[in-house]
Amino acid sequence: MYYKNIKPYLLIFLFCSFIFACGKDNSVNTNYQNYYDKESGGRLINAMTGEPSNLIAMIAGDSASSAIANNIFNSLLKYDESLNYAPEIAESWSISSNQKTITFKIRKGLFWADGEKLTSNDVMFTWKLVTDPKTRTPYASDYQLVKKASAPDPFTFVVTYEESYAPALDTWTALHILPEHLLKNEDINSTYFSRKPVGSNYYKLDGWKSGQQVSLTSNPLSINGKANINNLISRIIPDTSSQFLELTADNIDLMNINPIQFQRVFPSRKDLRNKIGLYKELGNGYTYLGFNLKKEPFNDKRVRKALNFAIDKNEIIKGVLLGLGEPLSSPYKPGTRWNNTKLKPYPYDSIKALALLNEAGYKKNKDGFLEKNGKILQFEILTNQNKQREMTAVIIQRRLKEIGVDVSIRVIEWASFINQFIKTGDFDVVVLGWSLSLDPDQYNIWHSSQQEPGQFNFLGYKNKRVDSLLEKGRVELDISKREKIYHKFSDILLDDSPIVYLYAGYGLSAINKRVRGIMKPSPPAGIYHNSYDWFIPKILRRNEISDI
Amino acid sequence: MKKFIGNSLALAGLVIITTVLLAAIFAPIISPYDPNFIDIESILIAPTYSHIMGTDGLGRDVFSRMLYGAQISLLVGFVAVGISTGIGIILGSVAGFYRGWVDSFIMRIVDIMLSIPSFFLILAVIAFLTPSIWNIMIVIGLTSWMGVTRLVRAEFLSLKGREFVMASEAMGSSDIKIIVLHLLPNSMTPIIVSSVLGIASAVLVESGLSFLGLGVQAPTASWGNILTDGKEYIQFAWWLSLFPGLAILLTVLGYNLLGEGLRDILDPKNK
Repeated sequence: MYYKNIKPYLLIFLFCSFIFACGKDNSVNTNYQNYYDKESGGRLINAMTGEPSNLIAMIAGDSASSAIANNIFNSLLKYDESLNYAPEIAESWSISSNQKTITFKIRKGLFWADGEKLTSNDVMFTWKLVTDPKTRTPYASDYQLVKKASAPDPFTFVVTYEESYAPALDTWTALHILPEHLLKNEDINSTYFSRKPVGSNYYKLDGWKSGQQVSLTSNPLSINGKANINNLISRIIPDTSSQFLELTADNIDLMNINPIQFQRVFPSRKDLRNKIGLYKELGNGYTYLGFNLKKEPFNDKRVRKALNFAIDKNEIIKGVLLGLGEPLSSPYKPGTRWNNTKLKPYPYDSIKALALLNEAGYKKNKDGFLEKNGKILQFEILTNQNKQREMTAVIIQRRLKEIGVDVSIRVIEWASFINQFIKTGDFDVVVLGWSLSLDPDQYNIWHSSQQEPGQFNFLGYKNKRVDSLLEKGRVELDISKREKIYHKFSDILLDDSPIVYLYAGYGLSAINKRVRGIMKPSPPAGIYHNSYDWFIPKILRRNEISDI
Repeated sequence: MKKFIGNSLALAGLVIITTVLLAAIFAPIISPYDPNFIDIESILIAPTYSHIMGTDGLGRDVFSRMLYGAQISLLVGFVAVGISTGIGIILGSVAGFYRGWVDSFIMRIVDIMLSIPSFFLILAVIAFLTPSIWNIMIVIGLTSWMGVTRLVRAEFLSLKGREFVMASEAMGSSDIKIIVLHLLPNSMTPIIVSSVLGIASAVLVESGLSFLGLGVQAPTASWGNILTDGKEYIQFAWWLSLFPGLAILLTVLGYNLLGEGLRDILDPKNK
């Protein structure tokens, strides 16, 4: 009897102690509000959705790999925080008067992480590697334009192009220079080096547990000096909801978040706002609706323009991105010099849309659908399994239905989307995105010669004026002349309407407030640009077993 | 009937199923909104008087979508089970009646099919086809007939030795006549029970496929894809996961209760 009575109390006691134990973890650390001086040490844990395939970026081609490899390797040049070219392995560069030859002066006294000297021979070796037909890389074409490359002495590297090539410097910011002494006898496609790289940047590989994490530790021989934070750990967490739980539980320090988390979850959770900082910046990409221009009725410009007028971009930004995006009128990031500010996006105007469709021969039939020669205006929007794109398609479908266009939606897994539909050209309309490099050259996407299966002009866009502008833009090195060329190009593209620009979304990051030194507002190059200068004050660090 | 009312679990199952059926049939009348009506101004509203189950990420009314989703779930359940029961009866009858190598052949196919995890088989097949509601029903039907086949065959084996079958044979009745007139009517009990249970698992498979994005395509609502949409908002929009989850749970529970109850009621040994 006695035993029976005590039981409920015991349970209540246990329950209370459980609640208090939980409460303690969630308590706000007031230390987050203080100012701290820079100090080195500590470790930063981030999360990524995919595991790197290979740390040699020219072979890998996936974003997880290049995110890690960027911390390990350097290029000849880099972009500074305002997106101007800056020296990295090269201390200076000069362009010949005929604009075809670039001479790079390599910095003296550079070392690989294993203590070997880094010289122009390594640069030469890397160029040979990337242009070698045996190397399985998607990036070769940029470097194959170099007619002749040479390394006359250990601190000079010279490349000569067939004709002047404006994106040349940009390509040299992207090519990771690899060590010749470790790779000269290796097959680059299958070498051990892809999982045991030796580089020259702030960090070197410390450990790699497949499916779990990749850890980096600071490289004492780094050619850029020492980063403040000693260890970078990238945990592999494929599901972003789980990542978010890890972030709130303080098990990771930073992650990319989505608009719902940014606009809805954070404002309603004071405990999270106290310990996690939010950052937003316009990303380097945009989402669009693309027409298959080889197919009826999308070969008719009036139909394309009509559909453009019939889609309300602001509604999509509001509904899908909760307002965290911007409409576009050119394929360039707003705020950069290449974006033509005179151009305005097509406003939502269903009356104009109907008028244009009438002009193209479409009349409403008795069911309310637009019809031409007995055929209803109907098509399928194809997109990959991406929630935002799917929601976008649903909103577009509703708007087009209002004017009498019958749209169906099909969502497909990425690999079959590319192989069965994009490469074969078997689609009506796609909702997809382009991410952009910093150079304005878009020859690969819009030039009429780039329509082979697997090439990027899969919409089949063909315009003689655009072709000649793109060709001119590629060889023009004068920035202001180049700017005019690409402004004109954007103008024609907007009028032709081969795609409907839907939105450019903001990149949203959540970073634990223990991480200091993040630039706010973010520089044009993005908040991660100065991550080597971030630091974690000792008092805010996690309890770590071996901290320096 | 008396037995039925006495069996409270079966009755509960029947009540649940009837409610869902009525909801599905009268969805166009009951639902307060167009299930696909997008309202950007009222995204993710918690349940209120005007939206009793709240709204989703595009401002669509969840209650209306749930009602239309019930149509999809039940349609998939009935058609898929119709297909699988049909195949099961034919193959089971042939195997049980003719025995010999036909029997061995059919039973080995059954064994092979049973050794493949059916959900993954369905996933693989759907990945090749266009994901549409008709394809899903057919694929679920074609991958779940093995149980019925075995049941029918077993019943036939035990019935074939009985006097009334022998009498019919002796009177020169054709095989078809014996199967249809004498054997099948006497094996209906296990078939009905397994069909009812089969509907439950078909509803579950459809929800699973839609949850993985391989089921019913947007913007058509099904319980599975409402649940997927809810996954992204689970941190604060509980109503998007709770209602479809509950609906799936209750429907499956309802069919299972009804199936179990029917077995108890129809089993002559269970008096």
